[in-house]
Amino acid sequence: MTILVEMSNIAKSFGGTAALKGVSLALAGGSVHALMGENGAGKSTLMKILAGVHQPDGGTISRDGRAVSFGNPADALDAGISTVFQELSLLPNLSIAENMFLGREPTTRLGRVDYARMNEEARRALAELGLSLDPGTLVSELSIAERQFVEIAHGIKADASVFILDEPTAALNAADVEILNRHIRRLKGEGKAVVYISHRMDEIFAICDTVTVLKDGALVGTRPLSEMTPATLIAMMVGRELAALFPPRGAEAGEEVLALSGLRVTERSKPLSLSLRRGEIVALAGLEGQGQQKILRALVGQYAPVAGQATVKGKPFALPASAASGVRAMQARGVGFVPEDRKEDGLFLGLSIAHNISAALYSMRSELSIAGSYQRLIADVMQRLQVKAAGPGAPAGTLSGGNQQKVLLGRYLAAEMDVLLIEEPTRGVDIGAKAEIYRLLREFADRGGAILVLSRETVELIGLCDRILVVHGDTIVAEMPAAAATEHNILDAALSA
Amino acid sequence: MKADTLRLLSTKGSRQGMWLLPLLIALGLAIWLSVQTQQFLNAGNLLNLVAQGMPLIITAIGQMFVILIGGLDLSVGSVISFTTAVLALDGPGIVLIPGVFVLAALIGLCNGVIITRFNVHPIIATLSMQYVLLGITRVLRPVSGGTVPDVVIASVSGSFLGVPLPVFWGIATIAVAWKLLYGSRFGLHLFAIGGGVASGTEDAAHNFGIRDRRNIVLAYVICSCFAALAGVFLAGRIVSGDPNVGLLFELDAITAVAIGGTQLSGGVGSLHGTVVGALVMALLANGMNLANVSPFIQTMIKGAILLLVVSLQSRKKMGL
Amino acid sequence: MAVALDNSTVRRLLRIPPAYYVFVLLLLVLWIARPHMLNLNVLGIFVRQVAPLGILVIGQLLVMRVKSIDLSGGGVILLINYCISSGTFPGASMGFFVVLALAIGIGVGLFNGLMVGKRRVSAVIVTLAVSIILVGFVQYLSSGKPPGDVPSMFTDIYNTKLGPLPTPVLFWVALSFAMWLFLSRTVFGRFVASVGENAQAAHFSGVPVERTVVLAHVLAGLFAGIAALVQTASIAVGSVRVGLDLPILAVAATILGGVVFGRGEGGVWGPFFGVLSFALLFVVMTAFGIGESGKLVAQGLIILLAAIFYGLRSQRH
Repeated sequence: MTILVEMSNIAKSFGGTAALKGVSLALAGGSVHALMGENGAGKSTLMKILAGVHQPDGGTISRDGRAVSFGNPADALDAGISTVFQELSLLPNLSIAENMFLGREPTTRLGRVDYARMNEEARRALAELGLSLDPGTLVSELSIAERQFVEIAHGIKADASVFILDEPTAALNAADVEILNRHIRRLKGEGKAVVYISHRMDEIFAICDTVTVLKDGALVGTRPLSEMTPATLIAMMVGRELAALFPPRGAEAGEEVLALSGLRVTERSKPLSLSLRRGEIVALAGLEGQGQQKILRALVGQYAPVAGQATVKGKPFALPASAASGVRAMQARGVGFVPEDRKEDGLFLGLSIAHNISAALYSMRSELSIAGSYQRLIADVMQRLQVKAAGPGAPAGTLSGGNQQKVLLGRYLAAEMDVLLIEEPTRGVDIGAKAEIYRLLREFADRGGAILVLSRETVELIGLCDRILVVHGDTIVAEMPAAAATEHNILDAALSA
Repeated sequence: MKADTLRLLSTKGSRQGMWLLPLLIALGLAIWLSVQTQQFLNAGNLLNLVAQGMPLIITAIGQMFVILIGGLDLSVGSVISFTTAVLALDGPGIVLIPGVFVLAALIGLCNGVIITRFNVHPIIATLSMQYVLLGITRVLRPVSGGTVPDVVIASVSGSFLGVPLPVFWGIATIAVAWKLLYGSRFGLHLFAIGGGVASGTEDAAHNFGIRDRRNIVLAYVICSCFAALAGVFLAGRIVSGDPNVGLLFELDAITAVAIGGTQLSGGVGSLHGTVVGALVMALLANGMNLANVSPFIQTMIKGAILLLVVSLQSRKKMGL
Repeated sequence: MAVALDNSTVRRLLRIPPAYYVFVLLLLVLWIARPHMLNLNVLGIFVRQVAPLGILVIGQLLVMRVKSIDLSGGGVILLINYCISSGTFPGASMGFFVVLALAIGIGVGLFNGLMVGKRRVSAVIVTLAVSIILVGFVQYLSSGKPPGDVPSMFTDIYNTKLGPLPTPVLFWVALSFAMWLFLSRTVFGRFVASVGENAQAAHFSGVPVERTVVLAHVLAGLFAGIAALVQTASIAVGSVRVGLDLPILAVAATILGGVVFGRGEGGVWGPFFGVLSFALLFVVMTAFGIGESGKLVAQGLIILLAAIFYGLRSQRH
């Protein structure tokens, strides 16, 4: 086996936070290499460095034994490294073929883009993946799964010898995944190196040869997958016995505080209802992108469902809620929404911790009222959450991921919400902070609060929650007590629906 | 039938923007004007229409390149004035004419570099450029005057094979723009960059390996050069340099581009749409002149049209 | 470079809005080159001249903090100036004109705000278009000729002094102080800071983002109306060109003062000193015999350099 790419001692930090601390990775031809780790462990950053999107602060990359450095994505492509990014990064205003050839368009002798050839090759590449889409269709017209396939087709048709697939299957169903796996095996057979990032254990064990595990930006180890079991792999990722991370589950749940009835997420989906009671933490689980986020966001007007009714503490109101004031209206009723993207949607990174914590308190008052400073309250919350910071005046952007997440949660604790709707409570947070956040959420529930939560990490939902609602096809297909749930039976429930 | 018409007018599944509707409006305006006033269809007025509309068509096409990448160039009006002032400097045409294009390219280069390298918002960068150029132009030529090289005057007033020369200006400009936008990879890359900006993923095109900064700079250079071309044309028409001739031209150009269906948020638009948009503006101005509408009212109407057109375009971002 | 930026003193110095440096620099230039101009009378006259600009800036800094901009001030000032000086309202009282000016300002501000906040139209284009519509309207009404005399009661007030300080300057300081109090003490001030830092996060934390932007524009319109009254009082005769360069100067002074599209580090006093810097700049330029065109170039360069200063500082890598 020849080593095609070797990354050694790669370090990278963003604004003072270390994302990667001296990570090494060797990719061999004819092998599929799994890159594992929790959200925020540094997998995507490492791959973006290999793809030329980010430049490392330290360490070296060698390609076929020669040292290289990639100043931009074009350099990496020229060196035969092709990437399917995690985020859907296709350009909506270009056609499928244009997207697939962007940056490497064939041209005619007159310098024009050779559309005939481009469309023909794109059609062939799509056909290989079992798709019969017109290559001239604009990407904005495609469904999410179709876009994902186009992205895959774009990545794997490239004339490259190293392929990075960063969560390529997030929007795909089992049959589609099998098509993809066939192509990965073909690439492997041709002696190419493939990096495969996924959260789905079964895929990892089905297709990969070697696994490298990252944790908090550092390398945990590289092992042949034949030596591993799902349990040992998880232990390697989490770094300690999983059970110790989670606080004990809640006692008896109290009265109902939030209910959804007759919610139809899309025209085609079946209506769903759910009920949330004081003292309990309830999960929306299932395969990624099956409607968990839509259900949660419909409650605060950030997604417009077809029809439905929500009831908060006995008071009903009709959905869809207003997009402009939905969050505000819910907050006034004691329901706080904690968005997934902490940096873009959650925090004011340039403003003080105090401002971030008090933001929801101010929002519940009228513009012209005098703004109190809430010094005592903010100090209280910071202490309760054990936020490690220079003081309440420090900008939120200077904190570590875990402390940022605590500040964000602190905002809703300070505003004394009854219900929290949380997306990805521990995204990009290190293991110690994770345990603390789980403890905080459980405390919140024990004090009579209720939490509806969704996460990509099913393990986290099983450990944290009391009840699990399995979502598939934009509706709830099963309900189970978390104590009896396993990753396997959640998946079963979702797929047999 | 109705559904078919609607589909023709809809912009879904295409990145050309809504250009058919303005074309219908332009045709409607032309027919209405020829019915309303006898003067409209006479040869003198039609030539006038072309000659008056040409600077706007040229400037709007340049502006379109910048708008397609989700930018905006507010300095084109001052580039026009500056160009006429330089042309009236009393030097040999062989130096002055290439000179104005070199200067325009430098101005565009400055705009582009300030925006891409120094992280300055395009509106702020080009707005300040506008003022710098206005000042320099006033130094060169405080009031209108001077004479431009004869060749410039001849190139816009004569005719060739019975066809008035301004028509050739139009054909040449459109041909060059067509080649740039539809006959090269560069054009496709502009759409890609704009598509990324419009959907909030500025890095998307970059991640595909496109040299986005270089292309953005190039778009601003093209925009400035087209403005300079319009300046040369105008200088030939007024025979002298005028520090105020380009006043508010940037807004007319933006209006024309927006009427033609190009989205100010970037990534959607077309050359033919822009030409149609400029034509609508030219017809409107011509009609208002024929009807003796006060020039001040004309300004108001143009402002109102700009407001109307941009408020019909929806975008996600709020603010600037 | 990286080493220098990591140095906390340098970083702290970079946090100070450029307006303060420019102000001190220009004072030094005057002190060395034309020391006789550094007296309260001369400076008082120049500072009084920029009072309308200063008042317009109070509104401008507010909209720029919520990542918008208002370039319609020129049109508003021109229209109000026309209403007062043209004799369209013969025998109207001072109070009537004040109410009229504020109403025009608020009306235009509300229109701008709704277009920017609700319709999400580009603020530059909306406010520029509104401005040229208003300018066209006034020029049409006056046929491009200067309208007439400003009622003497305006100029009389304008020329009063309180001790050594001209009343318009005091009025400007008082308004700035009021805005400072308003932004630092009310919930609205917190909303402005939130929206400016991250509109998306503001929305998710329950801030009424659209309403905040609309209100900021209404206030900017109101301040444009007040600026128009002071500007009108400063000239005895009406004009069809008055105030047209004020919006761009206001943007320049605001950026110089450290308030750049969302960043509010300069607060109210940074832009205040930005305006004072422009007053000094005019003194210096007059002293050195630099004409109108030089001023245009200087305005453009100041905006550009200040914007580059922030652009470089905010660069991530």
